[in-house]
Amino acid sequence: MKRIVFLAGSALVAVGLSWASPAAAQAPIKIGVLYGLGGAAAPYTKPAVIGHEMAVEEINAKGGLLGRKLQLVVRDDQSKPDVGVREARDLILKEKVDFLTGMIHSGVALAVSDVAKEYKKLLIVSIAKTAALTEDKGHRYAFRSTSNTLIEGRAAAILMAQQPFKRFAVTGPDYEYGHRMAEDFVTQLKKLKPDAQIVAEVWPKFGERDFTPHINALLQAKPEMVFSSIWGGDHIAFVKQARPYGFFGKTQYMAISQGDLDVALPLGAEAPEGMWVSANFAFNYPDTPANRDFVAKYKAKTGELPLSGAAYGYVATYFLAEAIRKAKTTDTEKVVDALEGLTIETPHGPITMRAQDHQANKGQLWGRLKKTPEHPFLILGDVQYIGGEKTMRTLDELKGLRGPK
Amino acid sequence: MFLFLIASGLTLIFGVLGVLNFAHGSLYMLGAYLSFTIASRFVGASSATFWIALVLGSLGVALAGALIEMAFLRPVYRRDELEQLLVTYALVLVIGDLVKLVWGADNRSVSRPAILAGAVDIGGRDFPTYNLVVLLLGPLVAVALWLLLSRTQFGRLIRAAASDREMVGVVGADVGKLFTGVFMLGAWLGGLGGGLAAPVGAIYPGMDVEVIAESFIVVVVGGMGSLTGTLLGALLIGQLNAFGILFFPRFALVFVYVLMVVVLVTRPWGLLGKPLAR
Repeated sequence: MKRIVFLAGSALVAVGLSWASPAAAQAPIKIGVLYGLGGAAAPYTKPAVIGHEMAVEEINAKGGLLGRKLQLVVRDDQSKPDVGVREARDLILKEKVDFLTGMIHSGVALAVSDVAKEYKKLLIVSIAKTAALTEDKGHRYAFRSTSNTLIEGRAAAILMAQQPFKRFAVTGPDYEYGHRMAEDFVTQLKKLKPDAQIVAEVWPKFGERDFTPHINALLQAKPEMVFSSIWGGDHIAFVKQARPYGFFGKTQYMAISQGDLDVALPLGAEAPEGMWVSANFAFNYPDTPANRDFVAKYKAKTGELPLSGAAYGYVATYFLAEAIRKAKTTDTEKVVDALEGLTIETPHGPITMRAQDHQANKGQLWGRLKKTPEHPFLILGDVQYIGGEKTMRTLDELKGLRGPK
Repeated sequence: MFLFLIASGLTLIFGVLGVLNFAHGSLYMLGAYLSFTIASRFVGASSATFWIALVLGSLGVALAGALIEMAFLRPVYRRDELEQLLVTYALVLVIGDLVKLVWGADNRSVSRPAILAGAVDIGGRDFPTYNLVVLLLGPLVAVALWLLLSRTQFGRLIRAAASDREMVGVVGADVGKLFTGVFMLGAWLGGLGGGLAAPVGAIYPGMDVEVIAESFIVVVVGGMGSLTGTLLGALLIGQLNAFGILFFPRFALVFVYVLMVVVLVTRPWGLLGKPLAR
């Protein structure tokens, strides 16, 4: 059902595009887009698809690339690796897409990355964050246009090294992402602050409804700071359930990615003021023409402020487009070469795709939630940008992790 | 206690109608979304708004339940259990997509009523007032259901229909209407659970699947069709979960499943269920 709707949707887009311009006489450049479009991923992936569409519309309005239009073929991977592999094969073999992008689920991203390697198709992962994708599981055809668990964990550790806290507790969803994030944070924290202690760890399952026992276990350990990678709907539930226990008065709390509007909007005024959060995208930072322009265009298209997903999709599409423009061909090998080391202007500021590991140097925005008179929800205050170059694997570290290219 | 409310609807429908209702989680989700919509229609989150939204929302779900029963379940009562399961599973997909069409895919959230937002001091520890209210509501619903089933004409008919639906039909009761009523009641419980869970969690597409798995564990452990068993199952699983998280944080999830396996191996019909006579 879902798939039919999306196929119909992308078919309509395709028809609309081909009517729009005479340049469509040439076959379009096809981009396969894979996301888990249902469940807890939906608040991120729906805007992500809009982000891809926005970028494609902008590029096509200016005449496309190499005289050809861009065309998206969107598929639902159901956040399941086996479905992702099936759909990726289908996109490559039946739809004959030229490139692949998308993916929010780390397991799906790793599985599809194998398919990309097998068929020598260029893949730009837009959201999924497991560091493995660009480390030990990396290969010539896999790229990531956003940060990863290592970059985010290390950035959080740098931030905490500036603070006086010593007693830390860690928590996160009980799967690859949560454990990897905590590990990357703790390793770096112990390096920067050898006297830091981990007094408790708690692993609620992904999609937990009742956080009461987790909240009590955390409070019992009396930490000064709780490091958390609980995200999305789970974060909303956690905050709402923890508040009446006076949780946010008894300990500080830092939440990876939870400064994004995806959770700030629904939490509204219930978000605790002063909570430490990072954001994947902020509509008010950096205050650059590129960001203002992106926010204005998204608002014009949807009537809403862009959620983080929109920026993920938009940036991934532009990385691909600029690489094709630079390569002057859609030949995969040449586009891969063009994408290595490519720097593009994005709503986040300029981002470079590092040649050695195909990992974008997107940094981290950290801040503390604050109330403002102009918004009914809390926004990021005292923003600090921790650049990707400070937190990425050094080239020395990479040598041991990645085989020959 | 949320789990008990939701699971009690599931066990009621299975006990009387003999249908394993996979779509029960969808009804729960519908309850959450409906009370979100009603609550956000009224300006200002006064306590009254929340209760009105809860009552109207859960009644809305009951109504939807009635329609579902009449349109989709009635034709399959006499069919194979597998076919019934397929129908209710199809409903999960349909309701899931409908919810996305109507409410979109974003996370949503409802505010707690202001007077229940705080905590009360019990033995030197803070206990959230809202959770306390739900904690009291659970047994209240259990007692009300028990009274309904054991003391009223409606309840007697339900129990009779559960053991022999043809006979009830023969003695002149309208079995069709009775079943619709039971399904409505079950749907109402699911919707009520959703409405009550809404202010302490996020509302998003996919919450249906999360809850149905947990409810099934509760019902299986407690005993299919047994209301007291469901209550016992919900309490047992809650305690076991808290114990695991406190002492074995990395393996906390395992305990609940181990309990389920042990129960299934030693008493396949559940702690307080009755063995199936075949």
